[in-house]
Amino acid sequence: MSLLDAHDIQGNILKGYGRSAYPKARYLFLQVKEAEKARQFVRSLVPSVTTSAPWRDGANVARPAVTTNIAFTYHGLRELGVPRDSLQSFPDEFAMGMKARMDILGDDGASEPANWDPIWQSEVHIFVWLSASTTEAIDGKYRAIVALLEAAAPGVEILRGHRGPGKQDDLPYQEASALYGPDGTPQAHEHFGYTDGISNPFFKGNTAHEGALMGGGKVTTAPPETREGWEPLETGEFLLGHKDEACESPEAPTPSLLARNGTFMVYRKLHQNVGSFDAYLERLGAAFPGGKESLAAKFVGRWRNGAPLATFPSEKEADEFAARWAAARAAIASAPDAATRDAAKKRFADLNLQFTAFDYAKDIDGGRCPAGAHIRRANPRGALEFGVTGAFETPGAVSNRRRILRRGLPYGDSTERKDDGDHGIIFMAMNASIRRQFEFVQQQWMNYGNDFRLANDKDPISGNHRTLNGTPDGRMVVMSGAKDPAPPFFCTQLPRFVEVRGGDYFFMPSLTALRLIGDGDIDPT
Amino acid sequence: MPNQAGDAYALTTICPLENDAHQDRSVATVIRQRLKDLPLHEHSPFARVPNLYLCRLFVLDELTYQGSPARLDRLRSKYLVFVCDLHGPLDPFLAGLWDNAKETLASIFAFCVGFKDVRDGRTFAAFIEKCQLTTTFYFNGSTDAPLAEQLKALYLKQEFAKFAMDHQGEKADALQRAFADFVKRVEPSNLAGPTWRAGASTLDAAEVRA
Repeated sequence: MSLLDAHDIQGNILKGYGRSAYPKARYLFLQVKEAEKARQFVRSLVPSVTTSAPWRDGANVARPAVTTNIAFTYHGLRELGVPRDSLQSFPDEFAMGMKARMDILGDDGASEPANWDPIWQSEVHIFVWLSASTTEAIDGKYRAIVALLEAAAPGVEILRGHRGPGKQDDLPYQEASALYGPDGTPQAHEHFGYTDGISNPFFKGNTAHEGALMGGGKVTTAPPETREGWEPLETGEFLLGHKDEACESPEAPTPSLLARNGTFMVYRKLHQNVGSFDAYLERLGAAFPGGKESLAAKFVGRWRNGAPLATFPSEKEADEFAARWAAARAAIASAPDAATRDAAKKRFADLNLQFTAFDYAKDIDGGRCPAGAHIRRANPRGALEFGVTGAFETPGAVSNRRRILRRGLPYGDSTERKDDGDHGIIFMAMNASIRRQFEFVQQQWMNYGNDFRLANDKDPISGNHRTLNGTPDGRMVVMSGAKDPAPPFFCTQLPRFVEVRGGDYFFMPSLTALRLIGDGDIDPT
Repeated sequence: MPNQAGDAYALTTICPLENDAHQDRSVATVIRQRLKDLPLHEHSPFARVPNLYLCRLFVLDELTYQGSPARLDRLRSKYLVFVCDLHGPLDPFLAGLWDNAKETLASIFAFCVGFKDVRDGRTFAAFIEKCQLTTTFYFNGSTDAPLAEQLKALYLKQEFAKFAMDHQGEKADALQRAFADFVKRVEPSNLAGPTWRAGASTLDAAEVRA
């Protein structure tokens, strides 16, 4: 396993900050007004930038109360004075930016850039985001950043124009927050009620952690419940300057010092039409065998508590699993001594594996998890071999090149359960190639179905379903197993549950590259 | 067997263009404009041709240089490439092609060497066969069944999917009655209609021809 220079890699890449430790976030978008002053701001921010260095390790850094990270659009790099030769070496999709990729992303109708939050009508240059456990902690860091901006005035300005609760549309930043349970603790679910962020890619250089490897790595031909069933992905799928799954160095800007240990990040503000979603589930769930919750699970491939359908096909099994899991977690806290606690932790870790360490080898026909369910589309694991062992050199040959690190958080309040308002999810993804990874998944797997033998069906939850002659036209087939005498169930007239409200593509450089950008010291020759 | 797979026939023709100009424009430019002006999909003149699965037309200027070490080949003229996938055999197809699209063909092939001798279906077939290449390249999106059968099958598939969705969960007797009505409406064994409109590429355009 390669040893990565975690101190050179920005935070939230090697390991997510996690929504229990950092349930609050604030996203600031800046515009460069004067290059040298703007570089001064970048230089002054560098000491605050959080890296991927492990926390709570005697030799390393302490866990920060607030994390700070920074990324740039193509235009931002240009305005900061990155030389033309370097700029021209960036991938096209990054240079074009998210708005110009609307046809590929399917951002039409309500998701058209013209309908995005006003801030996205300006040219965004720099993205700074803060994460913390409390809003107060974020406020403190925010004030510090404003002070840095003032010290470097008129180099960089904060762009206003985020929509917020009520009729606000000129907020200077986007707030995000985990949703909180009745007991005041941050929860893992999003506005539709699903547990989110369960499975993330595991790659070479990630801290050794069996639980994250199993389910997060790439599938092998061994059973998915075993350690042998998984291997870490190549680092170059997520970090530039490292070998990727094609045994190549990913397409990256020059000089290599600018690229190495950097990554590309996608930011998308996704509005969730919770009223339509609830109403649709209510209406169709009444007709669906197994009821509303079962239908909700079929949409996503997981029960709303996170238990995967591939392993827990019935609601009863999923509920029992959730109860065992909760009990195991409680047992750790109540353990009277170290030995009991270790045993309880082991049991908890084993149960946790069942959320992720599965594949669809025993469910090729989709009788448990439909082929069109969200998690099966987004990460088909080995399912694209369609049960033909050895069809590819490795079972995940196609999906291994399409993985993304997801680091999002919900925003807004949906307790009124209406479509209107400002609530949804801030989707953030990191990958070595926006075109090959994020855009492919979005275009081919979310908004199309051919790879899954589902014709032009889209993802039931996030697909950009059309309206035909005034009627929503989305469709999903909930198939029954090959040996199941029950007929398939058709979900018809699916409306668009998720709409885009803004976003862009960013380059998230290493600390080394960040210093180069700040110093105006990039030599592409 | 070259050119044929079952009842599917792959017709590949390359027709040399006269090295000439027409009203001050090269004939390649003129042909490209005429091709560009052709109506598409169900409005295409080729949609009227019996048993034509798919056809493509383009002007070939030059071969692509594949890089070192490779020899650069030069063509002696430009070519109009005309490729059809069809339900064979070839002769009746060419007769149907001429009968249904002769004005279009005359306009597009006007500057091809030898086309001046084409007067009717028989001479058109002779012209095409002279320009034909032996090939094994097929459009991978079609069976080898007659076009009318394929269009009917496509129509039935779409209509049946719609029927299944519209009547989901109904009781057996109601479902059976509805299905009887469905069969009566779609006439599964009547290839003449109702069916999928030839050339239509989207559901919106696939008006049923009763």
